[in-house]
Amino acid sequence: MSSAAAPAASRPWWRVLAGNQNRNLWFWAFVGPFFVGLLIFVYIPILWSLYLSFFDARNTVTPTDFVGLQNYATMLTDPNFLSSLGTFALFAVFIVPVTFVFSLGLALAINRTRWFQAFYRSAFFLPTACSYVVASLVWKMAIFNGLPSGLANTVLSWFGIGNIAWLSITDPPWYWLVLVTLRLWLQVGFYMILFLAGLQRIPPILYEAAAIDGAKPGWQTLRYITLPQLRATSAAVLVLLLINAFQAFDEFYNTLSSFGSYPPYARPPLVYLYFIAFGREQNLGQGSAGAIILAVLVGLVTILQLRFLRERDGARR
Amino acid sequence: MTSAAAQRVRAPHLSGGGVRQPPLERAGAILRTVLLVLGALLFLIPFYLIIRTALATEPEIAELEFTLWPAKAQWQNFADVFSNSQVPFARALLNSVLVSVVQTVLTVVLAALAGYGLARIPYRYSGLVSGLVLATLMIPAAVTFVPTFVMVSSLGWVSSLRGLIIPGLFSALAVFLFRQQFSDFPRDLEEAGRIDGLGYFGVFWRIVVPNTGAVFAAIGAITFLASWNAFLWPLVIGQDPNSWTIQVALSAYTTSQNPNYSQLFAAATIATVPVLLLFVGLQRFIRQGYESTGSTG
Amino acid sequence: MSMGHSSSRRASSQEQAEAARPDAGGTRLNRRAFFAVGGSLAAAGLLAACGGNTGRGDASTTSQPGTAAGGAGTSGAGTSGPAASGAGTGGSKPTLQQWYHQYGEEGTEAAVKRYAASYPNATVEVSWFPGDYESKAASALLTSSPPDVFEGANGPTIDQIQQGLVADLTDLLGDAKSDFNPAMLERMSYDGKVWGIPETIDMQLLVYRKSLLDKAGVKPPTSFEELRAAAKALTQGKQKGLFVGNDGGVGTLVGPSLWSVGEDYVTDGKVGFTPEQAGPALAGLHTLFTSGNLLLGAPTDWSDPSALTNGLCAMQWTGLWNFPQFQKALGDDFGVAAWPAFAAGAGKPSVPIGAYGSCVAAKGANVDAAKAFVKWLWVDNTADQLDFAQSYGFHLPSRESVAAKADKLKSGQAAEALKIFQTDGHAQTPMLWTSKSSTAMSDAATRIIKDGADAKAELAKVVATVEAELKRVTAK
Repeated sequence: MSSAAAPAASRPWWRVLAGNQNRNLWFWAFVGPFFVGLLIFVYIPILWSLYLSFFDARNTVTPTDFVGLQNYATMLTDPNFLSSLGTFALFAVFIVPVTFVFSLGLALAINRTRWFQAFYRSAFFLPTACSYVVASLVWKMAIFNGLPSGLANTVLSWFGIGNIAWLSITDPPWYWLVLVTLRLWLQVGFYMILFLAGLQRIPPILYEAAAIDGAKPGWQTLRYITLPQLRATSAAVLVLLLINAFQAFDEFYNTLSSFGSYPPYARPPLVYLYFIAFGREQNLGQGSAGAIILAVLVGLVTILQLRFLRERDGARR
Repeated sequence: MTSAAAQRVRAPHLSGGGVRQPPLERAGAILRTVLLVLGALLFLIPFYLIIRTALATEPEIAELEFTLWPAKAQWQNFADVFSNSQVPFARALLNSVLVSVVQTVLTVVLAALAGYGLARIPYRYSGLVSGLVLATLMIPAAVTFVPTFVMVSSLGWVSSLRGLIIPGLFSALAVFLFRQQFSDFPRDLEEAGRIDGLGYFGVFWRIVVPNTGAVFAAIGAITFLASWNAFLWPLVIGQDPNSWTIQVALSAYTTSQNPNYSQLFAAATIATVPVLLLFVGLQRFIRQGYESTGSTG
Repeated sequence: MSMGHSSSRRASSQEQAEAARPDAGGTRLNRRAFFAVGGSLAAAGLLAACGGNTGRGDASTTSQPGTAAGGAGTSGAGTSGPAASGAGTGGSKPTLQQWYHQYGEEGTEAAVKRYAASYPNATVEVSWFPGDYESKAASALLTSSPPDVFEGANGPTIDQIQQGLVADLTDLLGDAKSDFNPAMLERMSYDGKVWGIPETIDMQLLVYRKSLLDKAGVKPPTSFEELRAAAKALTQGKQKGLFVGNDGGVGTLVGPSLWSVGEDYVTDGKVGFTPEQAGPALAGLHTLFTSGNLLLGAPTDWSDPSALTNGLCAMQWTGLWNFPQFQKALGDDFGVAAWPAFAAGAGKPSVPIGAYGSCVAAKGANVDAAKAFVKWLWVDNTADQLDFAQSYGFHLPSRESVAAKADKLKSGQAAEALKIFQTDGHAQTPMLWTSKSSTAMSDAATRIIKDGADAKAELAKVVATVEAELKRVTAK
């Protein structure tokens, strides 16, 4: 630190570059490997994709046929792409509140339980170790297959209800039940853990103070102490739920596609993009344009949410 | 809960402030326990179904009636998974192990170094670099799979372990978590190291790393899980069956011409059980990892 | 991916082309030669043709390059020496990657690996793809190291041909050209050139349990109305009347529905169907879908024999390839039929037929060696072609002289199926039917069949897409 005052000009250029106490060198020695990788595998691909998105790039990654904004125009007016965004919105409307309520409820219940806390926590947390592929397998083949021997149909038959082909029919759209329960099973434990951690961070003194002030335990403390104290956690959970819903691919692909084709319903953006870019069409131009549009959308949503949270945060202080 | 709360108000009169719970509250506790037990059992059913189907015979699965448990457990199904020539499960399992282990180790090393550099080494453009790293947090990797494929395919890495592993190594989230943790690391300890003559790397390696083992375990564990269970990228990049991971192989077998369902579920068991055991063993770290993920929002 | 889906199984198809066969709609695939028993030519000539088959029985695919003597170019098979591209130095053999989609029938994979291992002039490594093969092959073609030899449902796609991703295989046929099934060869031709060598021909058809039909007093259906009635009569208890795939026929029945009203995908380079005619046929499938008589959500799909053999349904739309398994499980208790005409006089009964075409990637490292291998296996090597066609699942050899020797296909239900093939066989989607057209049709079919959407309105949208696609691909 003492040498900080030395005039840079009097030192050879490499000393200047290396920085005070070789700090610049050390910085890049630590951060460099990661950063270079990030540039190569995140930033360059995005730029390349931007480039591809201005070309008619069917069946090629080195196109020559410049088409300007046509791929964007095609994607933004493509009813299938737009409906895939609609599918995401619909999926989010189901999965976000359901997972939120379930995971919060579980966390509250487990937090208040005195016995076997670890068992309950593990039981609900365990599915997060399972992959979407395996879960899809179980949901599609063992629980919600269309045969009378499927678990769901077996249970229904106890109540005298006939067979339902869960994933084949669209009216009523039972496939949403399959997709939502699958994701709920897989991820509710994760969010429950976040809520449990949040609950444990609430200072017990708040409850004691509330009791002295005459607040009734139960609904009142939940409403006026627990939930406000969980605000940061809740916000994080909501953001994560939304972003994860946006990235939905695995379970949709594995429950609804067959032999490389996918039905026009319940087709979220990533699935649609996958089939445009990597299906038989191999349209990397349109696929790139779609990827850019999605990236911008996600980025915007995240920025808006962060700003919103920060404002609320600020307001709270 | 509302009624339980209401009951609580009257409680002092009824029980005279004793330690015993008022009846309605106790009823609530019992109800809660019953719901929790039922819910936990419900959540374990899929695991039961995986095992049951893996041990059943083909006719038992195809039957029109639900089979609670196979008449005779067919352990042979597990061996058959590996002798099934239609799908290279053994190779896929090996690929998955290689990819997950290498990806975990390298991700942790790269991210820990970068996180430490960003947290502790003063540098003029540190803010800019941080900004560029954090900006990628906003765009989930899954959304950019088309661009990444274009890049990786022009490097000639399609259907290779390199192509599977390397593009996934640069996790801004891991860097962010490490930076967070290292920023909270007590500076006194590091200063003590400096006085002993350690440089940046010496301090990092001799002092910081040994004292932040839990963080490494947490980030390592969640990276491993994510890597093992990854599907979209391996699906896109693994064009040749020799480069499939276990998840891709399972998915392909599901939609194959004549899947043998017991074998399919046996393979699913093989793909899941080791991770499950690991998960149970490392649960504490995984929970910590997730908790810190959650707090980054 | 309407048809495509079906094609993905065996012959489906999807994409591509039929270079303007003027009468594509009504052509009978008349295979005179087929029953005309050509047994006499047989043995000697055939054995000679597949000369160096010493490696048979050894299914190893990873034989080392460069060990065998002889080296490049010694076999008579190659039209141009494999040495041309890179196999150059001293007798070392080139290594070729060959990709197949998965054939479900036991033994097929070992068989193709055996054929590959017995090829003397190159080391051929076989990859076998369960699941979504077509997408994998399509994206691998764009990379710098595509598979040298791959199969495509009904050959390569028109876009692949126009982008120069696949090699021209016209020269490989030589004198054998006239021996190939003309409809299949035509289907893989574009611009006067042949882009894929038809391996074997697959057909889809209706298979039913005779005993169950007799018990219910039902006759094999000859019109859509009869089919619907039969499905109803045959639905008893937990057993369903009919199985056409878990998607209700979206993947398999678009073609048969068009043909059942006398229309087609593409006719003379123009859209070959009208919403007015085709609409009611597809809407009919919706009534079937909601009737409760269709098996849906079965663990295996239409291309697998299990639904019928396990008693989940009484009739199943499936493929000739499953006949060995039907015979094993049901003995004589099954019969065959075409997809019926929509109504008497309105159209024709039909069965879709198609072939996987063996293609060569133009960007591969050893294009000439790859071509030589394709010629050796799918043109010259009639013994392996015959083995492939009848030893595992049943397929029809593409070469008529080989088909004439396929004895296992000449008796029982297989023989009946071949009669249907001759009278009602229809090539699947044509070359000009692009992936985009196919997706549009399959989306519309899903909405019509599953959601009960207005069939005419949906098909009108498809017509618009297909017109644009036809314009795009014919402009080049």
